[in-house]
Amino acid sequence: MASEVIEVEGHIIDSLILAKVLDVILAAGADYQVLDVDIGKTNADTSRVQLEVRAGDDDALTTLLTELQVHGANRVHVTDAELVVADRDGVLPPGFYSTTNLPTAVRIEGHWVDCENPEMDCGLLVTSGNRVRTAPMHKVRAGDRFVVGSEGVRVTPLERPRGANPFEFMASEVSSEKPKGLLVADVAHRIRLAKDAGGKVLAVCGPAVIHTGAGPDVARLVEGGWIDVLFAGNGFATHDIESNVLGTSLGISVQEGIGTEGGHSNHLRVINEVRRYGSIAAAVEAGYVDGGVMYECVRRGVPFVLGGSVRDDGPLPDVYPNVVEAADAMRYLLPGVTVALMLASTLHAIATGNLLPAGVETFCVDINQAVVTKLADRGSHQALGIVTDVGLFTRDLCDQLLTS
Amino acid sequence: MTALPWGRRYLMCPPEHFGVVYEINPWMHREVVVDRDRAYEQWNGLVAALRSAGAQIEMLDPHPDLPDLVFTANAGIVNGTQFVPARFRHPERQGETPWDVQWFTSNGFTVDELPDGVSHEGAGDALPFNGTLVSGYRFRSDAASHAYLSRLTGAPVRSVELVDERLYHLDLTFCPLDDQRAIVAPSGWDSYARRVLEALVPEAIVLGDDDALAFTANSVVVGTNVVMPSCPPEVGRQLEAWGFDVAVCDVSEFLKAGGGCRCLTLALDVTLG
Repeated sequence: MASEVIEVEGHIIDSLILAKVLDVILAAGADYQVLDVDIGKTNADTSRVQLEVRAGDDDALTTLLTELQVHGANRVHVTDAELVVADRDGVLPPGFYSTTNLPTAVRIEGHWVDCENPEMDCGLLVTSGNRVRTAPMHKVRAGDRFVVGSEGVRVTPLERPRGANPFEFMASEVSSEKPKGLLVADVAHRIRLAKDAGGKVLAVCGPAVIHTGAGPDVARLVEGGWIDVLFAGNGFATHDIESNVLGTSLGISVQEGIGTEGGHSNHLRVINEVRRYGSIAAAVEAGYVDGGVMYECVRRGVPFVLGGSVRDDGPLPDVYPNVVEAADAMRYLLPGVTVALMLASTLHAIATGNLLPAGVETFCVDINQAVVTKLADRGSHQALGIVTDVGLFTRDLCDQLLTS
Repeated sequence: MTALPWGRRYLMCPPEHFGVVYEINPWMHREVVVDRDRAYEQWNGLVAALRSAGAQIEMLDPHPDLPDLVFTANAGIVNGTQFVPARFRHPERQGETPWDVQWFTSNGFTVDELPDGVSHEGAGDALPFNGTLVSGYRFRSDAASHAYLSRLTGAPVRSVELVDERLYHLDLTFCPLDDQRAIVAPSGWDSYARRVLEALVPEAIVLGDDDALAFTANSVVVGTNVVMPSCPPEVGRQLEAWGFDVAVCDVSEFLKAGGGCRCLTLALDVTLG
């Protein structure tokens, strides 16, 4: 797919020039998107329309642009992006282009090159082979070329999905007053569509998943092949293992919902034992952990990243104590992910939201509306918030996905 | 019905150096010899016809290196005391512009130029009609020039795509008669332009292919007088029915270079916008 931005100006409405230009584009089998319109207020005023024209390949585009030029539609004067070489590791050049999570293209030597991994709050790295990637600050190496300024950078806003799908309730439409049964069915449907299309499903889980008794349901989703990647923290993994090894979550019996004698130290004992084995996988291998989400992940080879925090007990040996390394490990697992389920997680959900390209459908489930809106406020506009108890939601989702 | 508010004062250039010395339209063939005496005679006949119709004629000095200077319609666009010189597509005619500009500046006009890189061949591709400037494009003028033209003159422009190379300028397909009527040759326009002009011109004399190619539309209107290179009987009848007096002027020597009566004149009393 090749594209170019053109502009046509004049009395293009009354002269039917605009209609002709659009007809010429469609007749050539190409497509257009209107980027900007300025219609004259009276019939004496001129109008101006900016269009992005998309054709199958460069040749088809060139032929079409030549034809459009006859009708006065010319390429918008676009210059190549300015590239500046970073002069030290970990530091972007001054004036660097700061990315969004939207599809982004950079004009290099007259060609638009798509960014391979849109991510917000990064620099745009142009490789020696003129490929474009986002790079977080700490990944910058002296000698790398980065885009500075905004000339020659094009960002494509996501189109609002048409038709009936849960994304009609997008973003700020977070509400606790929506029929949950329908939403769960819609989420299950989107997950199925994503899997059918070869996409991966990411689950980001907070400890409340275990506290509310949803652990076995998430484990069933992993076992059933519905979850391909898991992000969580020390707490989630610890309580998942604790609930399977000792039957408690932070000392509270998962079965009876009451405190147990000496339960307050259960999670520490579990962490300590897993540390003795050296890793969660080794603890599973040795039979110490024989069920739960982490167990299913190990058993099915579902990759997971446990990001550390300053509050962590232990932590478990698999936890990344260095958050920069944790984020890099998460980035490594993101390619191919098309659906993200954020289950009762605040910090990990927001961290994940920061890394996801805008096109990833994100469902954020939390009992606390503030968490759900927080994710949208931080720029993850693709997130659909569902305010409900994660235990009930997960059970419903599990039933929807596993019983069909 | 209101008569055209312009068309009583024209710029013309004697055909002293006129000839077909290059080929830049399908009518021009270098092997065709122009009879210069005859050309002069025909040109004088046109001047006389225009004067007797009530027009005043100004003279542009001929230039030995500029054979097409005689086609003053292409010099540029006049708007009150403003002159927007043409930007000729073909290098063969580009030498005319400084010569034209010199005449206009020394006759009290302010010159405003189109930007580099766009072509527009003056009144040959732009005729005022009922508050708009109808302007052709494709063969000689660029569509992109129309927005500039509008910006310079303040006139709303109606762009007309020309599709027949033999009718390479708008003034071979369109001749405003008054504020409601015109002679039109729609076979020279694309379907969009036909719709635009159909909406713009309430009453039209529609020329068939043969009449259009006889340059019937390349006529000069002076009030209620129409000076034409040819006039098919049904066109003449309609013009007379509408109250116009027709004078046919033989300009066959100039047709050899692809120009008729209108091409040999540039109205100097046009106010746009």
